[in-house]
Amino acid sequence: MWKLDRPMRHRTLPILLATAACLFVALIANAQSGILAPATVVKPQAYVSLQPVPRGKQFEIALVANIVAGYHVNSHKPTDPYLIPTTVTPELPKGFQLVDTIYPPGMEKRFPFSPDKPLNVYSGSVTLRLKLTAQNDAPLGPTTIPLTLRYQACNDAACLPPVKLPVTAKVDVAAANAKSRLRDPEIFRNSSAR
Amino acid sequence: MRGKRLGTCRSQNWSAVILALVAALIAVSFSGCGGGAQQNLVTSDVSVSFNDPNGNNISLKLPCTNNCPAELKGKVVLVNFWATWCEACKAEIPSLIDFQQKYANKGFTFLGIAMDDDGAKVVQPFVMKTKFDVNGDRMNMNYPIVLGNDSVADKFGGLWAYPTSILLTRDGKIVKRFIGALSQEDLQYIHGIIGS
Repeated sequence: MWKLDRPMRHRTLPILLATAACLFVALIANAQSGILAPATVVKPQAYVSLQPVPRGKQFEIALVANIVAGYHVNSHKPTDPYLIPTTVTPELPKGFQLVDTIYPPGMEKRFPFSPDKPLNVYSGSVTLRLKLTAQNDAPLGPTTIPLTLRYQACNDAACLPPVKLPVTAKVDVAAANAKSRLRDPEIFRNSSAR
Repeated sequence: MRGKRLGTCRSQNWSAVILALVAALIAVSFSGCGGGAQQNLVTSDVSVSFNDPNGNNISLKLPCTNNCPAELKGKVVLVNFWATWCEACKAEIPSLIDFQQKYANKGFTFLGIAMDDDGAKVVQPFVMKTKFDVNGDRMNMNYPIVLGNDSVADKFGGLWAYPTSILLTRDGKIVKRFIGALSQEDLQYIHGIIGS
């Protein structure tokens, strides 16, 4: 059993206690201010349209972004050039090609801090879609496609710093002639990647 | 003959060196290599001294891009953390311009700390070009704007959201923190500190 020897305990324990105290104070202060940590405002989940994805076939990744109630993020096309748009960027492994990225339209909303100038925003749940092709040399079997979701969130009174959140899409690649089925039809019902 | 050839060769070498130096200087000035072009956007440093939340006296020198003051000492200072991407921050700027106009000659100033990652490159043109509607007049930001980062924010006790404003008395004591845009009540409170 790993045990701290006495001198180590003397040095390490105060540091651990101080760190825990700082974290606790920060949590309490944040809770009191009612403001969320930027990386917790959006909860993203990636879905892949086909199981498996045959080589040579086009498929989709849907990034469903659930935005905490009371907060919004800029849409992909915000009204002001200084505002940071929401984007999703894949880091494609060998054998995959990005065909298109489709962003949903935002909604024009007015906020107490900007009553005269509506902003184009996402709120609630939005789905961002990537159309990709598994090329003929895509590695067979399970693989992951890392995605980066970038956004900048505000509530009705204040804004949070921009965030880059990592999200992972899991893809299972099969031979070109493999049969595949459409997954999550409620998300991909109208998908052209079938 | 040989000597003449050598002489010609030497002068040709020096010409090549001078040309190369001139070309390098031109390239550097246009490329912004080593942050030179960005550094030129910062006109001076502003010193601000205060007692941090732990009671330690902190003295910061922050690069100033616009409306750089000669001195902050002895003034009531409202440190306002903002960014060009922050719509809530930009919405309160007209009221800050109005307040600065009214109370700058009473020993008060805002100190706008811009937290844009791109620094002066994006902040200075924004401040120079953007006009705000202040009681029907189109006005630029009229208070000092300096560049900040997470390290600067930490010295003031950290940031949770933008805008965040921190009120310093004339002797550098932090008396209040405001999260979100300043309300009329907040401005009245600040007015009270100026008068005291």
